Amino acid sequence: MKNDIRQVRNIGISAHIDSGKTTLTERILFYTDRIHAIHDVKGKDGIGATMDSMELEKERGITIASAATFCEWKGHKINIIDTPGHVDFTIEVERSLRVLDGAVLVLCSVGGVQSQSITVDQQMKRYKVPCIAFINKCDRSGANPFRVVDQLKEKLGHNSVAMQIPIGLEADFKGVADLVSMKALYFDGENGEKVRVEEIPADLLAEAEEKREILVDAASMFSDELTELILEEKEIPNELLLDAVRQGVLGRKLTPVFIGSAYKNKGVQPLLDAVNRLLPCPADVENEALDTEHDEASVILDSDSEKPTVALAFKLEDGQYGQLTYIRVYQGNLKKGDTLVNVRSGKKIKIGRVVRMHASQMEDIESIPAGYIGALFGIDCASGDTFTAPGLSLTMTSMFVPAPVISLAIMPKDNKSQINMSKALNRFSKEDPTFKTFVDEETGDTIISGMGELHLDVYVERMRREYKAEVDVGQPRVAYRETITRMAEFNYTHKKQTGGSGQYGRIAGYMEPLADEEFVFENKVTGGAIPTQYIPACEKGFRACLEKGPSMEFPVTGIKILINDGASHSVDSSEMAFQAAARGAFLEAYNKAAPAILEPIMKVVVETPSEFQGAVMGLLNQRRGLIVGTQDEGPMCVIEAQVPLAEMFGYSTVLRSSTQGKAQFTMEFATYRQVPQSIAEELRKKAAEVKKNAA
Amino acid sequence: MMKNEITRRNPLKLMGYDAEDILNPGDFGAITARAGVGKTAFLVQLALDKLLRNLNVLHISLGEPVEKVCLWYEEVFRNLAFDCNIKYLDPFWDAILPNRFIMTFKAESFSAERLQERLTDLTEQDIFFPRMMLIDGLLFDENTKAVLVDLKKIAKELGIGVWFSVRTHRHESPRTDSLPPVMSQVADLFDVVLQLQPEGKDIFVRALKGAPREPAGELILDPATLLVRNPVEQAVNCA
Repeated sequence: MKNDIRQVRNIGISAHIDSGKTTLTERILFYTDRIHAIHDVKGKDGIGATMDSMELEKERGITIASAATFCEWKGHKINIIDTPGHVDFTIEVERSLRVLDGAVLVLCSVGGVQSQSITVDQQMKRYKVPCIAFINKCDRSGANPFRVVDQLKEKLGHNSVAMQIPIGLEADFKGVADLVSMKALYFDGENGEKVRVEEIPADLLAEAEEKREILVDAASMFSDELTELILEEKEIPNELLLDAVRQGVLGRKLTPVFIGSAYKNKGVQPLLDAVNRLLPCPADVENEALDTEHDEASVILDSDSEKPTVALAFKLEDGQYGQLTYIRVYQGNLKKGDTLVNVRSGKKIKIGRVVRMHASQMEDIESIPAGYIGALFGIDCASGDTFTAPGLSLTMTSMFVPAPVISLAIMPKDNKSQINMSKALNRFSKEDPTFKTFVDEETGDTIISGMGELHLDVYVERMRREYKAEVDVGQPRVAYRETITRMAEFNYTHKKQTGGSGQYGRIAGYMEPLADEEFVFENKVTGGAIPTQYIPACEKGFRACLEKGPSMEFPVTGIKILINDGASHSVDSSEMAFQAAARGAFLEAYNKAAPAILEPIMKVVVETPSEFQGAVMGLLNQRRGLIVGTQDEGPMCVIEAQVPLAEMFGYSTVLRSSTQGKAQFTMEFATYRQVPQSIAEELRKKAAEVKKNAA
Repeated sequence: MMKNEITRRNPLKLMGYDAEDILNPGDFGAITARAGVGKTAFLVQLALDKLLRNLNVLHISLGEPVEKVCLWYEEVFRNLAFDCNIKYLDPFWDAILPNRFIMTFKAESFSAERLQERLTDLTEQDIFFPRMMLIDGLLFDENTKAVLVDLKKIAKELGIGVWFSVRTHRHESPRTDSLPPVMSQVADLFDVVLQLQPEGKDIFVRALKGAPREPAGELILDPATLLVRNPVEQAVNCA
């Protein structure tokens, strides 16, 4: 197999839930001979489209998991990666966008740029993914592709330019006139597989010439040669025009727009041509890795198959033959039989079966060269793991995983659900490092924790649907913490003589607040006041106190303990006695050190049309939000705020209803901050009630 | 203690002005300099002084994202705290954040009318009432006068002074009153004009208009920390 990296495309198809992404993907697979019959989106012929996956995705209007499928078009190898469209799944989004080199933004010619199109566009902008646009459903009543081209400019700020004009519209939609070749394209045959090229109808010629002029003008910004030809009024070669458009696309400065109707089998093949001609190949994109041995310094990778291998596992799936790991190779060549290192765990793995995926079918291959996507069998790893050749210490994703900020108790309804729930939890925690699960020792409840309400909500739903685990869900709990705000001294003696061997230990020192660190223990005892062998027991005693704070039973953080004196007894002192003394000392000083409760504060970024700016700020303000600033971006504006997580429950619903569904928000953990006095009181009351009820 | 130490370093007090607030309601002040000399850092120092005195500051930036403006504050605040030998910054930082509001606009779409709309959003809902306004990045050209006249009305209504950064150009010689030519059309609207002038390796802070009655001597803007310093005091400290 000859591998020319310039003929590889790793693309995503991003779209609003109803703009026809599944139908378009289905047609692409048909025209590229990957499937031999066209099925409609589930429900009509009972078979379902090939890329149609989780039911839950459609129901909630979000794509959760990403699958990759492979096809070939005119000598180019195209990997289509399904991209999650919801902003809450930050790690999932980051992973799938990382493996894309370019994208097709699908828009509905009737609905135009809708709120979810705005979300997916923002994601692409954030990850600097070059894109082309496809205006679908031109056969629908009310179709108006040029209005959508304008919306791309106004609402999304794209420098959009039409590459085609429609021949007929709505029920009369017959084909497209290509503004580069100035030819009309019709799609004949039962499934539109035969592309017939003809002259542009006379009644459309003037419009086509006018639109071509706009296209040439826009493209000339990216080619001096083209500008010269325009000035000299010379004929413009098609290839030169396409080269200029490609330059604009690669720099994300131009968005060429194609039109068609996937459902009516029109306009898909020219879109595939455009994927080949205009979107970047892996070598056009600069990929960065982080060097774990040098403070995660950035290293630029070279998509050269001769160099040492660097690959990223971006998706795991449970298949009938075990775990299937989707992988993208960024550098080197990943071959059957190779030994690689999982950078996260440091474990060596031997590559067994290497396959190329097409939705649910697969074909065995010998290797995955740089720039390509494939899948591996029998590799024990988590999603987001980086594999490198031995000796390299590069990672494709930061090793920093934020601590979960919200938790839920889940209880299986029956025995069968209990077993399925364990399977599901095991899988989810492997897939998503921000999803954690553990059993609460006191209540025996299984607790799941993650990065937001919706994050956990989706996993609970997936448990029900994919693993048939019926669970009851408790109230969400925010991960509060305790800390101290001033220095306090302790001098505590633990003495016990109630028959048998006695216990004796005295510890003196102080505790003080500590910024940026969880816990520091310092030993400044001199002259053997506390014998050296008991010092670790002292530290252990203090550490044990941190797990549950004395005031609210939240974990205690940001505290430094220094011991500088003490006393021991030759017979009665023991490790246990000093551990007990440390606990006593901790309690003695803690209340004097002005303890406070800390709550997780989220960085919330809302993007809204400007007319709702006031309403959105009001909403954030009501939720104890601190508005950091507002950024005016033409018709849209971005509001940045810091809001306590405890106040963010149900925010998406409220935001949607106050902005006619036009605002979007992202939320990520920012910091821990002291809760206001009134809220602290409320929390204390609640905790007291819970204790009372438990008793 | 930190508050006192930082407010003692208020650039205006260091210059010899009687008060920290030299702008009356509706007054305009300008910091003029060439690009990259330190106008934003100077404005941020004026703002930090207010913030530490528990007064609300509205920072308007044209063309810079909110995140970048935040970085300016963090950087200048950290340098100030380092200068004052203060280790635990978090409580002070947490205390001043609610007093600061950043608004950014695209330079070409900024107008007094648009600002008024945004201000109404804030004040009507009791979210934020500014006690000082900074406008960084406004382009001074033939159309600016109309915008400034409208802004003056807003400032008077709110009862606050407004500081602007004014970018000057190397090739333009100053007017006879030593104000930069870009301010020709609007000089009468400004009550105080301060200049940051690089000379050799130092950047001097000078009053071009509305100078203090008893100037305290020349100040410099330290190019490393972008903090305003009194060179004499610095020499004593170093000794």
